Amino acid sequence: MCGVRTVVELDGVRVEYGELVAVRDLSLSVRDGELFCLLGPSGCGKTTTLRTIAGFESPDTGQVVLDGRTVTSLAPYARDCATVFQDWALFPNKTVIENVAFGQKMAGVGKAKRRDQARDHLDTVEMGDYEDTRPAELSGGQKQRIALARALAVDPDVLLLDEPLSNLDKRLRETMQLEIKDIQERLNTPMVYVTHDQEEAFTLADRIGVMNNGRLMQVGDPETVYDDPVDEFVESFLGNSNFLSGRVVGSGADRRDTARRAVTVEFPGVGAQIQIATESGLTPGDDLTASVRPEILELSPSPGETPTSPDGGTQEGTAERRADVEPDTTNRMALTGAVSDVVYRGSSIRYQVDIDTGEGAELSVERSVTRAPDLSTGDRVELSWDTAAVYYFGPDGARVRV
Amino acid sequence: MSEEPPTRADGAGETVESGPTPTTAGSRFGRVAVGTWLFRAGVGTVFAFLLAPIVIVAVTSFGDSMVLSLPPETFSTRWYESFLDSSRWQRATRNSLIAAVGTTVLATVAGTTAALGVRNLGGRAEGAVLGLAVLPLLVPGVVLGSSLLVFLGEFGLQQTYLAVIAAHSLWATPLAFSVVRASLSRFDPRLREAALDLGASPTRAFVEVVAPNIRSGLFAAALIAFVVSLQEFVMTLFVSGRDTRTIPVLAWNSLRNSLDPVVSVVSTLLVLVVVLAVVVGSLVVGLERLAADT
Repeated sequence: MCGVRTVVELDGVRVEYGELVAVRDLSLSVRDGELFCLLGPSGCGKTTTLRTIAGFESPDTGQVVLDGRTVTSLAPYARDCATVFQDWALFPNKTVIENVAFGQKMAGVGKAKRRDQARDHLDTVEMGDYEDTRPAELSGGQKQRIALARALAVDPDVLLLDEPLSNLDKRLRETMQLEIKDIQERLNTPMVYVTHDQEEAFTLADRIGVMNNGRLMQVGDPETVYDDPVDEFVESFLGNSNFLSGRVVGSGADRRDTARRAVTVEFPGVGAQIQIATESGLTPGDDLTASVRPEILELSPSPGETPTSPDGGTQEGTAERRADVEPDTTNRMALTGAVSDVVYRGSSIRYQVDIDTGEGAELSVERSVTRAPDLSTGDRVELSWDTAAVYYFGPDGARVRV
Repeated sequence: MSEEPPTRADGAGETVESGPTPTTAGSRFGRVAVGTWLFRAGVGTVFAFLLAPIVIVAVTSFGDSMVLSLPPETFSTRWYESFLDSSRWQRATRNSLIAAVGTTVLATVAGTTAALGVRNLGGRAEGAVLGLAVLPLLVPGVVLGSSLLVFLGEFGLQQTYLAVIAAHSLWATPLAFSVVRASLSRFDPRLREAALDLGASPTRAFVEVVAPNIRSGLFAAALIAFVVSLQEFVMTLFVSGRDTRTIPVLAWNSLRNSLDPVVSVVSTLLVLVVVLAVVVGSLVVGLERLAADT
């Protein structure tokens, strides 16, 4: 098991379209046998990166190495990789089997042999009965399978997939995800899979590379990327977290740990202050964003609490609450609010809660239907969370570790 | 107007016979109908004027006398026979076919490669190339013909087939270019990329994937080039010689001295060939479309 062998290596790749920089200083390596997902919003440069590997874009700077061979200036047909395109790009003038056999035909393999091989690949994707069909007669899912078989048929060093499932409906997409994963594990062909769908990336990937604005923000296995995001963008893109923007109002030495500084942060959105200990050099006035994920939020109906003085008393209430929170050694933040919206999402229910204090930020909590509290719009609730489970991001978006 | 909504709401408008509505609708229809008929009559007149000479030529070609008369006193295929017997006309027919085939090949290949090349230019460069490409169509044939004669004369190429084909291609290529370009704009460039990705060289990608998917455009381009060459007269008059002159040039030569009824025959046959080409072309392209849509 030589898992260290890399099949794709990008080194300092930069791709420009005139004024626009699509990919900037991107370096990544894809290991043999793994499924690597490039994940990011549309326009982040992930497709351009894939096209650079395939040879359809030539980088302005940097190197592309495929299986130990530098291919930066080689044409697509001189590279041993194969692409599954977003709209599949099946040749409409050829039958299914001719499509699948096309790569071998170009390689000069005889007709009988390449047809036999193509049949094997059609069987791999369970499309053996469609040999003589024209692509126009196939459904989206079937075209997808043929595109996959056609790419696999050239036995590529690496298979490149450019959002291959984005044109399929949700259910078919989920089935195909599992099939692609299954084929990948069976054939052990390394794959670079571009998607904007984080669920798809988590379902498929051995490792994920999150891209934004032409940059690779973070690379890691799905658990690491999800549990330990290095950047505010990664955190916001991977889930539906609640972001609270705050500002550093004071800092001082931590009594217990000299390397760290105790920083006081105020979150005007919920009218609360917290103290965190961090090694980053945050100074008063710096912006700090807290990400409170729905899964760490505890939501319960307020025990018989009626709304305290609706007007006027807020200032006092906030002060009271701060006093409540700060000295609390259990490190729990507790806030009250009113349910502003209940959204049924099939298997889960999402609650929007308007916080009473501060500027009245709105937080969202999602619960599966079976453990959903019975709440309706207007109900008073208490929201609390463990402050240690919150992620903090500094003024430049980088993670502030606490 | 006020009566209309209730009738529609009923869903059974035909049973409600309300007084004013049909009359207003009727007069409005009447005015529209008169306009339509006037328009049709106008267009019909224009077409009649355009087509009349062709019909007259076709009818006179079946005459029996040396004098062109309409209608001919007696009908015969006498002039068709003398056309087939004439070595001059046979030669001109052969020359016309050689020029047309040569032009078809040259113009289609040049037009197609140009259309493929222009695709990736984009912006200002593409505009400049497009402008240059159609320029020969805007220059009078006399100017092109005389300058071609001087230019080709420098290389001793005047009066050769090459000269005729070059002259015809000057007009046929921009047309072929435009047709192929329009056809390529409907072609999904991902298909070509997929072919390259699977190991096809650019040439093989064109042969295997691009050409079959734009074949109706290529066919139309070739057809247009063929027809342009067949009917071109002005430039050919300058650059062709005794041995290379085409049907239109010989027809003009024959008519200079006297009205030769064989010219009617030749004209009729030329029109017939062009009409056939267009019919076949539209059938093929039409079937292609039909096949592509289903």
